[in-house]
Amino acid sequence: MSGQPPSALADRLFREAPFAGRPDGPGWASGEAREPLTGTHVRWHLRGQGGLISAARYEVRGCPFTVAAAACVAGELPGRPVGDWALDLQDLVRRLGAPEAKLGRFFVIQDALREAQLQLGGRTA
Amino acid sequence: MAPAVYLDHAATTPLDPRVRAAMLARLEGPPGNPSATHAAGREAHAAVERARAEVAALINAPPAAIVFTSGATEADNLAIQGAARGAAGRGRHLVSLRTEHRAVLDPLARLQREGFEVTLLAPGRDGLVAPAAFAAALTPATTLASVMLVNNETGVVQDAAAFGAHCRARGVLLHVDAAQAAGRVPIDVEALGADLVSLSAHKIHGPAGVGALYVRRAPRPALVPLQFGGGQEGGLRPGTLPVHQIVGMGAAFRIAAEEGAAESARLAALAARLWAGLEPLGGVHLNGHPHQRAPHIVNVSFEGVDGEALLAELAGLTVASGAACSSESGEPSYVLRALGRPDPLAQASLRFSLGRTSSAADVESAIGQVRAGVARLRRLAPA
Repeated sequence: MSGQPPSALADRLFREAPFAGRPDGPGWASGEAREPLTGTHVRWHLRGQGGLISAARYEVRGCPFTVAAAACVAGELPGRPVGDWALDLQDLVRRLGAPEAKLGRFFVIQDALREAQLQLGGRTA
Repeated sequence: MAPAVYLDHAATTPLDPRVRAAMLARLEGPPGNPSATHAAGREAHAAVERARAEVAALINAPPAAIVFTSGATEADNLAIQGAARGAAGRGRHLVSLRTEHRAVLDPLARLQREGFEVTLLAPGRDGLVAPAAFAAALTPATTLASVMLVNNETGVVQDAAAFGAHCRARGVLLHVDAAQAAGRVPIDVEALGADLVSLSAHKIHGPAGVGALYVRRAPRPALVPLQFGGGQEGGLRPGTLPVHQIVGMGAAFRIAAEEGAAESARLAALAARLWAGLEPLGGVHLNGHPHQRAPHIVNVSFEGVDGEALLAELAGLTVASGAACSSESGEPSYVLRALGRPDPLAQASLRFSLGRTSSAADVESAIGQVRAGVARLRRLAPA
């Protein structure tokens, strides 16, 4: 393996993938992004209330660190203002013990989140 | 936790207990340098010559045509660099395939830097190079062609005998890398028309650290040695011979000669079962020709999953992956890329390779683990 083994946190988030899945019901806004070279594909589903994100779900095709990063972000999104899409990706790399090279895949998570927030903002504006 | 199911025999195989016994007997016996003329030396020399005959017998060669090396990588290097330099006065054009092992591609790249011209043929999507395309690549300046009989990633079997016929007609030396072929498919150096054949012991339940190069006796290709310092192995591979390693290789090749046909039939049945168990997943692709292949390798790409994630799902299975994280280069498999697989499919590939210790239960376990892992990852992925 070119990268270091996943941290215990990354391994748990990859295996459990909390908040993963396509949600049912109305009121969800979605956005996605892809990176064709590696095939990484992320889709966010967000619900908002009073200008804040109230719930987040994701679908992801990616390496274990990408799955873990999406799960980590999904747990931290509720309560954030709609439109605040920028993630501290370096901090994610550090917390998950990911190789720096994974940063490129993490940008896909952020790009998809921005798209979903644009959709959500347009819906709640 | 149960030990992981080992399906990576194309990488290396467990030592056969009979080989181990032969090696131990040698190691625990009195020492003797086979180059020495005293009794212990003569006994060691006889053990080496017995092993030489056992290795030669598997490929229908005379024992004197076998040169022991440290493995197939050294054999490839000696064959390619040695033959190219030995024939440099006649021409400096070399032909091979893009899907060769790095033990062939890297020496060719080295020769290219020295001024040799190298043509690397692209295979079709099935991994095969048509003999006509091979023949068309030969020029009056071509002195050496090199082809892997059984591809180490896909298991595809090239029509090396047809290449050999073209080489003979054009006066070109043919080197065949048979590291994955020995003991899995029949090898007859005469039928292949091969001048040089690389062999490995640890791919067929022998020890690592020993291999051999077949060098045709007549006409004998001129080889420039890579090492100097003694007259062993006809001056082509100087250095004190590792007798216990060589005895182990001989035992492994003898067992392969005795049991290879039946074992290959058994492995082919297991491989067919493996593919039949994976195919219903849908979105799976068998890499390489569906029929012109060795019995022990099944290489499969899976749509809709990430290769690294798939490997992480298979904690109870030891297999090789085409994912970039599995390669030293950090790139997806260049062999699958050469077959036209897009990067995501080249990444999301697994090479299952079976061996003597593989059982039907191993295959069923592998099918179950892969199906569960692929299904979970596909559920996570956007539709």
